[in-house]
Amino acid sequence: MTDVANNNCDVTRRHFFGDCGVGVGKIALASLLTGATPRSSDARQQPSGDLTPCDPHFTPQAKAVIHLFMAGAPSQLDLFDYKPKLAEYEGKSIPPEVIGGQRYAFIRPDAAALGPQYQFAKHGQSGIELSEILPHLGHVVDDICLIKSVHTDQFNHAPAQIFWNSGFPRPGRPSLGSWLAYGLGAETTDLPAFVVLSTGSGISGGAANWSSGFLPTVYSGVRFRNQGDPILNVTSPEGVDSQLQRETLDLIGDLNRRRLNVEGDPEIATRIASYEMAFRLQSSAPELMDLTSETTATLEMYGADPEKPSFARACLLARRMIERGVRCVTIYHSGWDAHTNVAGNLKNNCGKTDQASAALVSDLKQRGMLDETLVIWGGEFGRTPMVESNPALGRKLGRDHHPQAFSMWMAGGGMKGGYSYGATDELGFHITEKPVHIHDLQATILHTLGLDHERLTFTHQGRQYRLTDVHGHVVHDLLA
Amino acid sequence: MYLGMSAPASGDVDFARDVRPILAGHCYKCHGPDAEQRQANLRLDARESAIAEADSGELPIVPGKPDESELVRRILSDDESEQMPPPDANLILSPAQKEILKQWIAEGAVYQPHWAFVAPQAAALPDVADVSWPRNPIDRFVLSKLESENLQRSPEADRYHLIRRLSLDLIGLLPTAEEIDAFVADERPGAYERLVDRLLASPHYGERWARRWLDLARYADTNGYEKDRPRSIWPYRDWVIDAVNSDMPFDQFTIEQLAGDMLPSATLAQHIATGFHRNTMINEEGGIDPLEFRFHAMTDRVNTTATTWLGLTMGCAQCHTHKYDPIQQREYYQVMAFLNNADEPEMEAPSLMQIALRRNLQAEVVSRQNRMFQRYFVDQPVASNETPWAARSRPFQKWLREEQQRAVDWTILRPVTAKSDLPRLEILNDDSILASGDQTKRDEYRLTFAGDFSGVTAIRLEALPHESLPRNGPGRAYYEGPKGDFFLSEVFLKSDAEHRIEIASATETYAKLGIGSGGSSAALALDGNFHTGWSVNEGEGQPHTAVFNLRQPLATAQKLQLTLIFERHYPAGLGRFRIAVTRDTREITASKVPVDVEASLLSPFGKLTAAQQRRVKTYYVSIAPELDNERKAIEKLHKSLPEIPRTLVMQERPLDFPRPTYFHKRGEFLQPTETVDPDVPAFLHSFPTDRPRNRLEFARWLVNSENPLTARVIINRHWAAFFGRGIVGTLDDFGTQGDLPTHPELLDWLALEFIKQGWSTKSMHRLIVTSATYRQSSRVTPQLIEADPENRLLARGPRFRMEAELVRDAVLCASGLLSDKIGGPSVFPPQPATVTTEDAFGKLQWKVSEGEDRYRRGLYTFMKRTTPYAMLSMFDGPSGEACVAKREVSNSPLQALTLLNDAVFLETAQRLGAWAATQSGPPQLVLDDLFRRCLTRPPDTVERDALLAFYTRQQTRFAKRQDAALALAGDGKKSNAAERAAWTSVSRAILNLDEMITKN
Repeated sequence: MTDVANNNCDVTRRHFFGDCGVGVGKIALASLLTGATPRSSDARQQPSGDLTPCDPHFTPQAKAVIHLFMAGAPSQLDLFDYKPKLAEYEGKSIPPEVIGGQRYAFIRPDAAALGPQYQFAKHGQSGIELSEILPHLGHVVDDICLIKSVHTDQFNHAPAQIFWNSGFPRPGRPSLGSWLAYGLGAETTDLPAFVVLSTGSGISGGAANWSSGFLPTVYSGVRFRNQGDPILNVTSPEGVDSQLQRETLDLIGDLNRRRLNVEGDPEIATRIASYEMAFRLQSSAPELMDLTSETTATLEMYGADPEKPSFARACLLARRMIERGVRCVTIYHSGWDAHTNVAGNLKNNCGKTDQASAALVSDLKQRGMLDETLVIWGGEFGRTPMVESNPALGRKLGRDHHPQAFSMWMAGGGMKGGYSYGATDELGFHITEKPVHIHDLQATILHTLGLDHERLTFTHQGRQYRLTDVHGHVVHDLLA
Repeated sequence: MYLGMSAPASGDVDFARDVRPILAGHCYKCHGPDAEQRQANLRLDARESAIAEADSGELPIVPGKPDESELVRRILSDDESEQMPPPDANLILSPAQKEILKQWIAEGAVYQPHWAFVAPQAAALPDVADVSWPRNPIDRFVLSKLESENLQRSPEADRYHLIRRLSLDLIGLLPTAEEIDAFVADERPGAYERLVDRLLASPHYGERWARRWLDLARYADTNGYEKDRPRSIWPYRDWVIDAVNSDMPFDQFTIEQLAGDMLPSATLAQHIATGFHRNTMINEEGGIDPLEFRFHAMTDRVNTTATTWLGLTMGCAQCHTHKYDPIQQREYYQVMAFLNNADEPEMEAPSLMQIALRRNLQAEVVSRQNRMFQRYFVDQPVASNETPWAARSRPFQKWLREEQQRAVDWTILRPVTAKSDLPRLEILNDDSILASGDQTKRDEYRLTFAGDFSGVTAIRLEALPHESLPRNGPGRAYYEGPKGDFFLSEVFLKSDAEHRIEIASATETYAKLGIGSGGSSAALALDGNFHTGWSVNEGEGQPHTAVFNLRQPLATAQKLQLTLIFERHYPAGLGRFRIAVTRDTREITASKVPVDVEASLLSPFGKLTAAQQRRVKTYYVSIAPELDNERKAIEKLHKSLPEIPRTLVMQERPLDFPRPTYFHKRGEFLQPTETVDPDVPAFLHSFPTDRPRNRLEFARWLVNSENPLTARVIINRHWAAFFGRGIVGTLDDFGTQGDLPTHPELLDWLALEFIKQGWSTKSMHRLIVTSATYRQSSRVTPQLIEADPENRLLARGPRFRMEAELVRDAVLCASGLLSDKIGGPSVFPPQPATVTTEDAFGKLQWKVSEGEDRYRRGLYTFMKRTTPYAMLSMFDGPSGEACVAKREVSNSPLQALTLLNDAVFLETAQRLGAWAATQSGPPQLVLDDLFRRCLTRPPDTVERDALLAFYTRQQTRFAKRQDAALALAGDGKKSNAAERAAWTSVSRAILNLDEMITKN
């Protein structure tokens, strides 16, 4: 056995180091094993992809991203953007000249206004106003950058979620996490560069939200699941103990190396490296998921039960992933689609997310990781100042989809803390100050990671594509 | 060796090869075909503009005089305000590129048309030094190039590699042990060709090659987007398999898929074929505008057509004129106009067997009904102990009397006009109205009737089924709501005086709400609230009736105007319906008695014709409580009728109802401007003047032999399937930004040969696989990898990882588990339930198929767009969300985990392990067989020793670990567990070798 391995060792090493001409790109994963030097940034575009670390365009503030994607779209009017005037208008239609030609998903434009469903109060030194239903966020308000003037092009869930992630409202283009993995490579070979978790109901945009689109598949988001194996098939079959798994992989490796010797195809070297990495994943994934090393205080801060899938546990796992070198973690919490009973919906969803979202910011901060980790919190669009009510659909006191003005917050990663940006009119209908389009957010996020959204491109079908399509401006005001 | 990377020697500058890529990549964006983006009124894609005086007064290009050319001055300038391309464009010209431009101008700035836009030219077969090698013309082209580059071709692969390669390429399956032995032992001449012919004739050939076409067709079994609910269009998938198996000529294959419905007396199969463009996604979110997502489906159809047949990135011209290729934005919408005149119904797609079965069962139902009728209504008892008819007929007589009293004298009205906001309302011969065409979420039908309506007291609305409607109607709901349902929100009635006629009450024969909680009734269509109304969920496919009683009988009225409003968060208009009025002064309730029976009930039974009497009696038999038991048996029979699969098709609109196609500013749905007429891009061969400008003729235009692109694009994709890379590397882009062909003469020869062979794909496959080029060994020498790492010049045979479906098929095939069943509804092989429940909105429960369907080929796996089958997407399978011309070939640790640990692959290893454990020979022979089942070739000694040593060690270990042995060996049986577990381990290792999932 060992003879087979030794005999072919040199060949393999040679391939790893790219002596064979084709090596560098094609055996990207193999080169990871050798700790190869970073890719130069103009060599990003490779046919099969490459996860070796790659220099950013300029010195970054953030190294990693945790995106808390509030799928279904939370109501900014009851959480962040306080509009007492709406209460005055309650029961009355919003003037048609305010509404203009906006299309709605369910309601008619003459629907009556619905006042704020919760009380607001000022918090922290910054005095940022937040809803009473976000008590925990109030404690970290001086660390967050609240943007009240976000707008998007899409007013239905799947297109809007895919648009947020990929800059295009239909499937087929790479998501933010994929662009980051492509642009910066991976800091770890023991875990995927881009991880996706979810809690709550299913995700409207589905896998297109973390697809690598036309980028090589190695940049796709990898799902960590709540039930069963965290990564599909990461557990060896029953009856295969670690010794057998190791012996099996050794055998596979030896025979593959022999084949590499005979066939000479560097792709075989990549396969060998893939199997080694798979083996490491088999131990790094359970280690990651095992929360016994976390203190009770930490678990309590997040409100996480180590054994039970929850948004809180996902947030804690996200922090552990970032510690271990994961580039981008997206956690989908679905369920904010409050077409009826917006107050009850918020109570339920804030109950599940507020504490852990705030804990994540605190935890990152106390570990000194917040400066280099960008946390993003928000949905795919906002909700209407008008009430949604439809007895035939069993709906009352809800809010419909509102794409033209909503709120998000970001923290860390070079964002200003205790900062509120942008404003909407007195009914929360239109943006009145400093609009931030989704493409602007994307440009800004890439910027914090040291990437110029106009230079991070990939040539596909004869055209250079980018996350921000042909739009987007970095919002420098948000940066510390 | 020239691979397009180094600067050419003096006198060698070739516009197409060297210059255009530079101009296109760096200059055309602002100085190209797009007039709107054009700067300084200068275009560098057209010589007359490039050498003419620019707006600045300068001469951009002075042929022969680079020093006098402004272009040269500007590209060499260090001044950022003058430099071209401008520094902020991020388009940097390398010194070599600048040199090429200078040299090209010095040599006269000669322009040439783009190679792919000029029809293929027949070239003489090139001479080669090694005349013994070529087996057919392909080899002459390949060898000539190798010789000119001083590259050594590879020897022929051995028989094991050949049969494995051929089997995988042609039928996508591994050869069996018998097939391998027969081929290896066949020393007669023509052994290889016989093998080729056998594989080309295999029905599995169609499965293998259909799958590649389905990538382009973006085939899937769900609608996509948020709801992503299942759809039934697998009959289209099976049509492709059949068409490929029968080697349908590619031109016909094209025409039937794009316009089969328009062919004279189109067959069922030709209708099914139009599913190609019904594979577009449908957004079922409640909040969408269906017309907006229909527009997105149309852009998908244009882009997919352009990618599939023309190799053009036409999608770029949706929003603006193409930056690099001569496609005007207007032309984009003109091509759309060809495809945009069809309605999109479903149709039944029964197999011949189902038709026969259904016919027999239906005959049996009718005969039983007749028997029941006969037994019930015979005048004299057949047997002496039976009650006389006079006594037995009492219930019938009673029913008759009651219904005769209840019967209402209705007059069916034929509308004078039937109009709507958008759908087409067609008045049929029976005075019913059939709706078709596009729908909105608030459709309004306006009917006018003329006549004397004085004394009218009530109006009847019959909602009627029709075969053209979803689930046969009576409604038109096709997404989000229950298919075939409708939602009548409000009814308005006016008289000729334009006065509103008040409706006092309403009743209906059936009502049920599909979504929501507000209830459903005809009365809710009178309450002034558009959110409430009448719908008939779970009554789809059946007729239903509502009756509206007027507050007062009409005074004199010559005209009636009836308005029906259907407002819902999805389109929910009525599909077919009919209006009648009565002067009956009673309070009328809707009756379930069929309209024709009710008419007969108005006359004394004795006065009816025999046929009318029989009809009344037949109806009675169908409802008589005393016949409940007998009817149950018949109903059971009826329910056993085979469910007829349905499929999505295109149906060209009638001539009087064309759908206009608009130019859309910036490509936006909300910015339609003027209408456009169908036409083809001007730079391609012209559209015949004597043919109608419709979808059918467009399809014919695509496969016209004058088309410079289609044959090249298609044959290039086939080439890539065999060799891993196309002669043109960019399979989806033959435009100016695409790769240049490595072997242009070969590509043209193949394209012309394809047409010459009557567009026979099988002939071309035979030609390719019988070439010496294809038969080369795939071994990579250091010299070869140095000289041609991507094997562009084909000095060796192909070697690359199999496609996703083939990985599954090959492993199942090696284990003997693979089902050879062809076609039918898609199936659900094992995968963790969380894939579809955690990742996507609908939480589709993945109910694993049982029996044979657990082991079907990969192409039959249910394709859910938002969460594709995990194993297939892990190996770069498509999601069906967009047209895919070229799959990626990735190599990742997640693939390793799948092959090592996934339940499907474990089961194959267990199956092989169980098989090996029952073999009687010495382990070495068992291993050899096992190895060959997976890898086709026998193991060499080192491999054999390594595997045997592994086997022995695991056997020893498992003997001590009975529980582990039982678990790994699977199937719950105790006998022989350690032995089976050891062989399962060996099998698992072999199935995980790189070679297992590689075609080489």
